[in-house]
Amino acid sequence: MFFKRSQNDALVAKAAETAAVAAGAATPLTAEELRRVVDPASLGFASTNDLEPISGLIGQDRALKALEFGTSIKSHDYNIFVLGPPASGKTTAVRQQLAAKAAQGPTPHDWAYVYNFDAPNRPKALRLPHGRAKLLAQGMIGALTELRSVVPGVFEGDDYQARRRAIDEAFRSSQEQAFEAVNMKAQQQNIALLRTPTGFTMAPMHEGKVVKPEVFNALPENMRREVENKIEALQKELGDILSRVPKADKKRRAALTELNEEVARIAVHEALDELRAAFADVPEAISYLDAAEADLISNIALFLANDEENAVVRQPLDTAHDVRFRRYMVNVITSNGDDGQTGAPVIEEINPTYGNVVGRVEHIAQMGTLVTDFLLIKPGALHRANGGFLMLDVRKLLLSPFTWEALKRALKAQMIRIEQPMEAAGLISTQSLDPEPIPLDVRVVLFGDREMYYLLVAYDPDFARLFKVQADFDDSIARSEENDRAFARLVASIVKEHGLQPVDASGVARVIDEGARLADHRDKLSIEIGRIADIVREADHWAKAAGRSVTTRDDIERAVDEHLQRSDRLRDRSLETFEQKIVLVDVEGSKVGQINGLSVLQLGDFSFGRPSRITARVRLGSGRVTDIEREVKLGGPLHSKGVMILWGYLAGQFALDVPLALAATLVFEQSYGGVDGDSASSAELYALLSALSEIPIKQSFAVTGSVNQLGEVQAIGGVNEKIEGFFDVCKQRGLTKAQGVLIPKANVQHLMLRHDVVEAVKRGEFSVHAVSSINEGIEILTGVKAGSRGSDGRFPAGTINRLVEDKLRSFAERGRDFARKNGEDAKR
Amino acid sequence: MIAHVAQAGEDRGRVVLHVCSPQPHALALLAAVKIAQAFQSEIESLFVEDVQLFDCAAFGFVREVSLSGRSSSKLSADSVAQSLKLAAQGARRELERLARSVDVPLRTRVVRDDPMQALRLACSEVGPWNVVALSEPFTGGFTPMLRTMFDAIEGTTGLILVGPRARRITGPIVIALEDMGRLPDLLRAGERLAALDDVGIVVLLVAPDAQRLHDMEMSARMALAGREKLRIDHAIVSREAPAVAAEALRRQAGGFVICQFGGAVVPDEGDLSPLAASLECPLLLVR
Repeated sequence: MFFKRSQNDALVAKAAETAAVAAGAATPLTAEELRRVVDPASLGFASTNDLEPISGLIGQDRALKALEFGTSIKSHDYNIFVLGPPASGKTTAVRQQLAAKAAQGPTPHDWAYVYNFDAPNRPKALRLPHGRAKLLAQGMIGALTELRSVVPGVFEGDDYQARRRAIDEAFRSSQEQAFEAVNMKAQQQNIALLRTPTGFTMAPMHEGKVVKPEVFNALPENMRREVENKIEALQKELGDILSRVPKADKKRRAALTELNEEVARIAVHEALDELRAAFADVPEAISYLDAAEADLISNIALFLANDEENAVVRQPLDTAHDVRFRRYMVNVITSNGDDGQTGAPVIEEINPTYGNVVGRVEHIAQMGTLVTDFLLIKPGALHRANGGFLMLDVRKLLLSPFTWEALKRALKAQMIRIEQPMEAAGLISTQSLDPEPIPLDVRVVLFGDREMYYLLVAYDPDFARLFKVQADFDDSIARSEENDRAFARLVASIVKEHGLQPVDASGVARVIDEGARLADHRDKLSIEIGRIADIVREADHWAKAAGRSVTTRDDIERAVDEHLQRSDRLRDRSLETFEQKIVLVDVEGSKVGQINGLSVLQLGDFSFGRPSRITARVRLGSGRVTDIEREVKLGGPLHSKGVMILWGYLAGQFALDVPLALAATLVFEQSYGGVDGDSASSAELYALLSALSEIPIKQSFAVTGSVNQLGEVQAIGGVNEKIEGFFDVCKQRGLTKAQGVLIPKANVQHLMLRHDVVEAVKRGEFSVHAVSSINEGIEILTGVKAGSRGSDGRFPAGTINRLVEDKLRSFAERGRDFARKNGEDAKR
Repeated sequence: MIAHVAQAGEDRGRVVLHVCSPQPHALALLAAVKIAQAFQSEIESLFVEDVQLFDCAAFGFVREVSLSGRSSSKLSADSVAQSLKLAAQGARRELERLARSVDVPLRTRVVRDDPMQALRLACSEVGPWNVVALSEPFTGGFTPMLRTMFDAIEGTTGLILVGPRARRITGPIVIALEDMGRLPDLLRAGERLAALDDVGIVVLLVAPDAQRLHDMEMSARMALAGREKLRIDHAIVSREAPAVAAEALRRQAGGFVICQFGGAVVPDEGDLSPLAASLECPLLLVR
């Protein structure tokens, strides 16, 4: 025991009883205030069959205007960030909007990569009028196929062969003649000309045979000298002839090359002639065809060589797959305007990896080595969207290594440069292809949530420069007749899109109710299209299961209930703990310093409320409220802040001229997890006031709401779930007509309670009270007047505030006496 | 061998590859192997080190002019022997590779002798079913040598030759027929070769005038009626116009040509230059 009860305590209790007369003055909310319900008759249609499905979004004027602006402005850095809640239908709506915009835009050019005959590792990017890149590719294959059949014939032809033989013969005969002349001359002089493994040699000859050395050596010296001189002269002559061979052969090869080119030129020119005519209006294509023609002429042997592989399979490969002709193929990167489609492209890349966005150079394994060429350049989404719009999910984009930086680089440079990611990061420098960059004109539309948007704005300076348009999609729209009707049309479009049976007016009204519940606001409608579509589709299922051809209110109701039932296993377990008294909560009677607080548990897309007992104990102390949750590190910062605010309230309200000689402890009983948020701060204050005034709190009430230092009760979140959570526990224990919940007045607008709760209120079995101040609340909870300071500066006797103030003053006096006594003891 | 073996229905025989050139023509080796494969005979490679080169080397003043003509050096017996040894090894290796690939038995021999004498001896050892394959491309002035070979080497029944422009050994077997009496044996030889690659046969009838050609064609068509993968073509060739015969053969784009020596196609006198300039496949020349 820290202190004894004062002698006035009995008086206090009596005064409290007197003040209790005022209790019940606070009027609970009416059933109408707890849930806004749409009257099906007011909707003005029988079923969704009578409604025109809505195209696009409702109530998103700001976002749509931003989109319109972003897609119209002609500037490369006005890319768009679409932010809003997931499953709100924004992607579909944006896609539709972009498609409409793109249809009015010009059809962009085609792009193709072709071989660079001057620098093979730098493929050239070829810009072609839309729809013609494929024609060029097919045309080249056609021309090559023609050359494959024509060229061998031309080169095997009599005309070519005769001219070639003439060149060969001219060379050969001149050589042979010269050689033969030396040979004849040598023979006439009895000198033999012989071939050695590495050249030629000469020796004296007799009767066609080389003279044996011993025979030759027997000759007189002058004769031997004469023979030696002859041989020496002939060898010189032979040397001269042989040394002329390379030059002559060079001339022969030059003549043959000239002949080959002349013959090839005619064939190649004819093969490419049609293509050249078809692309006469495209200088870049003509320039490429010129280069290809020159290369084909100088490599005409490609069409004459035997292909080993072909021989093995004994089936000629088609030209497009013949490796010999790869360099003449055209790699079509983008082809627009195919199949009569016109307008700018709208591309959505659902897997935005580096390669899928920027494009990549693929490799093939060949003899254990990875090789590549310009035909292995694969386009990315930027290529496909060039001239139009590219839609990307920002979260996926950021999760993909290197991609975000690559996208920004492309947007800043207005060029698509295909690089290996590691190369772009400067980590490797392997020589690979360096394709010519392609000019980029694209409007990127990123999709993400608000958190992601603000993170990017804060941490990436490039982001704000490149994404100047923010299309902010709201997650709810205001309730109005017009919007209710638009919402009904939205239901009609869901029905149409999913091929469902019609929903009658009662069903639509129930969907609208659910829309308000999802928005957590009686005057707003959630436009979380995904969830609404789920409800309508599930209701369609239940309607069909019940043999109905129209989906009604009951089906919608069932869909909502079934959805809840599928997810509320934990809620049931939670209720069980109350039933079995594992978790202690009183829902009747009164207790000092004890109150029912309310909390919300969020589990995935399902949340539910549950009561928690909060207790407060007070004693003489040095002015400190101990928040046990914080002491054991289970309380979050917001919760701690709320507790500190109580202290501010107590000090300001009751201890202006005396020290606050109070020590108090506050605890969420049986709370084994973290507690955060300040929605229990009013409940904690009520418990503290009860403990100080020693006036018991009715346990039939639960409380939610935060409080400020002035004692005003402020709005909190999850109000519906919290009320329903307490209602469920009360219902489990048996409704006593005295049970209810105190909520902040500011939360009345958020009320969209379950039907069973509303019905209970209608029957007077349950109540919801909206309060705006602590004084209002404590009066309802205790049935005792809170009291206001009178002209004497004191609270009226018997009121809660008076009792609290008296208790605090008595603490202060006791504290002073205690200090004095301690001081005297110390002196002694 | 060949034609005669075919005629006699015998499989015995031998291909004597006469290598007297340090750089044998690749297609000549291949042609020799192919003939041996077709007739299931063996190959005897005879690399001849021309004894005259060693006589030359014995002269102190004799020099060797390089193939480029830009340098000359003293010819020594050792350097000649070493070069010939290396050349023989190279030729043997290549031949072994080819023979092994088609399971043709191979024997190799290196002799130092007069080339013609060496060949004569080699053929006489087994005879008479020898086909001599020459490793060196024939030229316009080769006729006397061919004549010598057929005359002097009794064991030779045929010669395999390649021209300087030889580059192909695949394609139809072309039989240049000038004497209807030789049709059966030349055809059998052709069929054996054609069977190796499953190719067709072209019988090119060669006669000096239209009437003779007409008569030959009638006989040939009767003799060859009903044969599959066989085509008859014809050319009027007089002995004075070897270029016409050469062109007629070239146009067939054959993989092997079989003809007899001493006719209009390969005369036993005169210039072989037109044939050398146009023939792109090996030639099997029979007596």
